[in-house]
Amino acid sequence: MSDSPQNTGGVDGARQATAARLIHPVDTVIAGILLALCAWLWYETTQFEEVSFLLADNLPPATFPRIIIATIVVFTVFMPFEHLLLARVGKNIDKDRTEPVKRITWSTMGLLIAIMAASELLGTVLTLVSVCLLIPYLWGERRLHVIIPFAILFPILVTLVFNVFLGVYFPPGPLGLNFQ
Amino acid sequence: MEPIIQGLSLLIDPYSIGLILLGVVIGVLVGALPGLSSPMAIALLIPFTISMEPVPAIAMMAALYCAGTFGGSITAILINAPGAPPAAATALDGYPMAKRGEPGRALGLATVSSVIGGLFSLVIFIFAAPLLAKLALEFRPPEYFALAVFALSMLASISGKSSLRNLISGAVGVMIGTIGVHLTTGIERFTFGIPEMVEGIHFVPVLIGLFALAEMLSQSQSLDKTFERIRATAMRLPTIKELLDLKYTILRSSGLGTFIGILPAEGSTVAAIMGYNEAKRWSKKKEEFGTGTPEGIVGPEAANNAAAGGAMVPTLALGIPGSGSTALILAALIMHGFRPGPYLVRETPEFIYAIFGAMLVANLAFLVFGLIGAKFFSLITFVPTRLLWPAVFTFSMIGAYASGGSMFDVWVMLASGLLGFFMLRHGFGPAPLVMGLILGKLVEETFSQAMIIHDNNFFAFFESPIVLGFFALTILSLSTPLWGLVRKKLSAKKKA
Repeated sequence: MSDSPQNTGGVDGARQATAARLIHPVDTVIAGILLALCAWLWYETTQFEEVSFLLADNLPPATFPRIIIATIVVFTVFMPFEHLLLARVGKNIDKDRTEPVKRITWSTMGLLIAIMAASELLGTVLTLVSVCLLIPYLWGERRLHVIIPFAILFPILVTLVFNVFLGVYFPPGPLGLNFQ
Repeated sequence: MEPIIQGLSLLIDPYSIGLILLGVVIGVLVGALPGLSSPMAIALLIPFTISMEPVPAIAMMAALYCAGTFGGSITAILINAPGAPPAAATALDGYPMAKRGEPGRALGLATVSSVIGGLFSLVIFIFAAPLLAKLALEFRPPEYFALAVFALSMLASISGKSSLRNLISGAVGVMIGTIGVHLTTGIERFTFGIPEMVEGIHFVPVLIGLFALAEMLSQSQSLDKTFERIRATAMRLPTIKELLDLKYTILRSSGLGTFIGILPAEGSTVAAIMGYNEAKRWSKKKEEFGTGTPEGIVGPEAANNAAAGGAMVPTLALGIPGSGSTALILAALIMHGFRPGPYLVRETPEFIYAIFGAMLVANLAFLVFGLIGAKFFSLITFVPTRLLWPAVFTFSMIGAYASGGSMFDVWVMLASGLLGFFMLRHGFGPAPLVMGLILGKLVEETFSQAMIIHDNNFFAFFESPIVLGFFALTILSLSTPLWGLVRKKLSAKKKA
């Protein structure tokens, strides 16, 4: 599905096109998400603990976040109509989002999350080896004589630099390697 | 004079000079590679520098920052793909000149004008930073609050798709900065029972996620993109006559770039675009722009490098970042235990001069590196994307982990990267969010202090003329997007 406003009509022809021109559908959804988040965060500010009376002279902890939330709300309300202003100065807000997010990008995101979730078991070195092995493969690199040395040597080298020279401890995990 | 000698002496040891030169090499390489940027490289460098002494650490980042701005011009000229956004304007005339068989000349013009622009801004930096800091010593919390609000409002006018989205991004950054224990009351805010969030969200993982991971995901959308490469010949320095012919363009752009750099939140990209436009406006051969004219190369190049030096002025003197990259340098300074601002300039002036020295060395170094290594630097674009970005992710993971020694930070990096990807797609820039995140703490702290001073009476803010001045500037800056519209309407009326 494309999220360009031009591609949202089709059924109701003129009427929908007018609406699309007045209110940007994708930006309306984004604005809706932002406003919902703001409402939730505002609610969270009502749940902050009571301040001790000794510190009552200070600005209450909820005041500043509430000012920022209100600011975001004010800006967000204009978002669905912003494309009208941008179009007048020759800017196209949809330029980078006319094409849908490609499958490979979704797969990359999924792979990164999966590798991260497995990192506790794999430990740092094996996690990084997995990244350097699987992402190039997912992205279409098929030269194993390039991928395998890269996936083994590069993460070990980087981990060694941080571990030995900068003294950073990396958890080895039950299956992982340890330089200690 | 003594602080200057002290500052420069901090740098005169092989270790510091070696780090500065390493920063220059990394900066040029990163700047040259389309997709990689100096803010990303600085974000990835911060974890490496945690165990270093502050002076060499910050000097290395400052050198990387200067060199990264220049590095972008190499690929802008040779493959018409600016390695970094500030070099986009350079491609307009640099690539046509290279295409007609003069790549060495184009690279030479870009390098020399970058060096002149950089040196010009450093001279201004060395005089302006202490003066600005002296002025800022008069500031109390209300004035500081007003200044920080003004800096945030400047997000409306920085480059990007939309001013409104920049402002929303900045406000979201400020909001993220409120996570954790409230400093004056000790109350936990937005921690949701997660112990790692009690001390707040660390800068480094967010910066790495927004600049590195988000870009990696964007790059995955265009894996099959290929560039037409022009074979790089040796760089050819411009002749004295050529430079004399271009002197006004270079000086004008250097001055303009420095001024834009000094403005809070404005950066090298805006400076380069304005440098190009002004070069065209004042040129006697306007029709030659876009066909490979020297003025079209030196205009943006002098301006974008001058902006790099200019942006360091508010960063060090006021603690208000002048650009996305300086926001990261500011974060690094805070991590090294410094509080950038007038007190830094007053108490440790030698530190400022050391950074000045590092930037001076960096500017001269990329002239040498450019001369002898332009051919090599252009080869960097042959590194396969399919291996480059997994390598960047490896650095990102290790860097995020090393910054706090916690896997939670790696998850924060991942979440920031995913958020950053969708933000970029929908026109929300990562730089405003980072500026908001970094300035947010200053805004809240000074706001709280000012409210205590004024007995919780907000209207008392308006009693200070400096505060009123900053608020007026804030309104002006917020209305910037409307100026373009008014100008367009007026010019349409004139034409009619």
